[in-house]
Amino acid sequence: MTESTPSPLAVEFCGLRFDTPIVLLSGCVGFGEEYTRIKGFSNRDAGAVCLKGTTLDPRLGNPPHRVCETPAGMLNAIGLQNPGVDTVVGEILPQLDFGETRFIANVSGSTLEEYHEVTRRFDDSPIDAIEINISCPNVKEGGVAFGNDPAMSARVVEACRRATEKPLITKLSPNQTDIAANARGCIEAGSDAFSVINTLMGMAIDIESRSPLIGNNQGGLSGPAIKPVALLKVHQVYQVCRDHGIPIIGQGGITTAEDALEFLIAGASAVGVGTALFYDPLICRKINTGILDYLERHGLATVEQVTGSLRLNAPSKPRCGCY
Amino acid sequence: MTPSHRDTLFLEEAVITLHDAFEGDQYVLHLKAPECARRARPGSFVHLQCDPLLPMRRPISIMRAQREQGIIELLYKVVGHGTSLLTQRKAGERLSLIGPIGHPFTLHAERPRPLLIGGGVGMPPMIFLADHLRGQKGVQPLVLLGSEAPFPFQARPSQILLPTLPAEAIACMPLLDDWDIPSRLVSQQGYPGCYEGYVTDLARLWLDALDGDTLAGVEIFACGPHPMLEAVARLAADFNLPCQVSLEEFMACGVGGCAGCAVEVLTDAGPAMKRVCVDGPVFDANRVFF
Repeated sequence: MTESTPSPLAVEFCGLRFDTPIVLLSGCVGFGEEYTRIKGFSNRDAGAVCLKGTTLDPRLGNPPHRVCETPAGMLNAIGLQNPGVDTVVGEILPQLDFGETRFIANVSGSTLEEYHEVTRRFDDSPIDAIEINISCPNVKEGGVAFGNDPAMSARVVEACRRATEKPLITKLSPNQTDIAANARGCIEAGSDAFSVINTLMGMAIDIESRSPLIGNNQGGLSGPAIKPVALLKVHQVYQVCRDHGIPIIGQGGITTAEDALEFLIAGASAVGVGTALFYDPLICRKINTGILDYLERHGLATVEQVTGSLRLNAPSKPRCGCY
Repeated sequence: MTPSHRDTLFLEEAVITLHDAFEGDQYVLHLKAPECARRARPGSFVHLQCDPLLPMRRPISIMRAQREQGIIELLYKVVGHGTSLLTQRKAGERLSLIGPIGHPFTLHAERPRPLLIGGGVGMPPMIFLADHLRGQKGVQPLVLLGSEAPFPFQARPSQILLPTLPAEAIACMPLLDDWDIPSRLVSQQGYPGCYEGYVTDLARLWLDALDGDTLAGVEIFACGPHPMLEAVARLAADFNLPCQVSLEEFMACGVGGCAGCAVEVLTDAGPAMKRVCVDGPVFDANRVFF
């Protein structure tokens, strides 16, 4: 597809054209080329590809096991294994075909200074946009994840904002009390968009050895198990974003076109696909086709008309006061 | 990466042509997967969807590839939820797989005495490698297979005598005997004709009896449980022999995208985390156990 081709699947995201609303998620597709090993897979089937989390210096990552299956999902604790931003910008980005899709960097760090510096390096690169992984531990303040606290989240966004004019997408964590309040702070600090949600922290234990299955003891839960949680978070963040025209990449357990449509209806402008690739590496085409069918059935010209089209049920009087 | 990596793996809806159960929760599975069968090399594996509802596929080594018929043969043991569900799938049904994945074993002409050591469900890559080696002029492999579950084939006394090994260790894998490749079976379960002990014990006896020139032609290839591979690596180091091991690890994508299967490997630049799927599964033993 080219710029001039009108496509019902195309979305405008922070001034970028995505040929389809699908974004391949950071950490699932390496640095953009890994899945092209599979015949039939094409980055063109995704509107954007989010590259692996990148830090200032190379990181080895966590010891095994880094992944394990859980009911309707999986845990991962990779530990940000990456070759460092200089290698990513200098050696990996030049290998990517920017004619196939949009590429989004994913910036991670242990300090505000590191976030700023990694963002600055990507600013001086052909990358299309920058996603901030604010779920990293803040080493200067006891290792609490930046993203679990609205004030710290905003400071990370601010640090990155000072380093770039490129679209900044903040990846919000579900592991916090009020995701909407966090989103508000991030918008004020300069975030152009959001990814909602990052993984939920979880654990699995081998009852024979009585040790956690994941080498890092805990890991991020992804897959269909988290979909209802993710959907609600997208709905909540959309209430904040709507008036500011801030788009959301909805993500968490999407494996079908129907799942993707739920996220779009809840307020997402684009949808992230990660763990679903592990089920089916050619899932993007199926999701695209399913969305097109839906648009046709509902007489809609573009997928952008689906975003935020949620019709909430009329509030009823609480019967028991529980919820 | 260069564009040469593109389109090297295949997603196939493979038809089950045979699914046989053996003692000890072991199963032999034949799958019609022509693209995979055509390209598989000893050491390659497939990433198999045991059930469409499971988020993670399971990496399973290829035991044989019948290129003409387009069939790959696998051996697996039930170890958890995924493989347990896999046992329910019947001949005629389809299973999704990605393959053939991974760097295969590398053979060296100056090492015409390959010693193949397989343990448990680590036997299949050794059988695939033996299949590849059979009939190769001047190459004299020996295959040692160890298992603490009954062997998933009918063992029989070997027709190929190995005078330097204990006479009581005579059981072989018949298929290998048919290929004129000597093999011996090892177990601590007291199975008839099997050497009692560890597979590395028998390997050591064999290596001990070799003269210097023959020993210089040996290279070890191994796949099996981690403690066995560690023992094989020690054995190789004791005899100053090159050794390649095939590893396994929990795996999500199978194509190098998630780095979920990474293990620590010593590189020229120091320790690094390498992906078992596309950087392996075959590694130099002295890069893994250091």
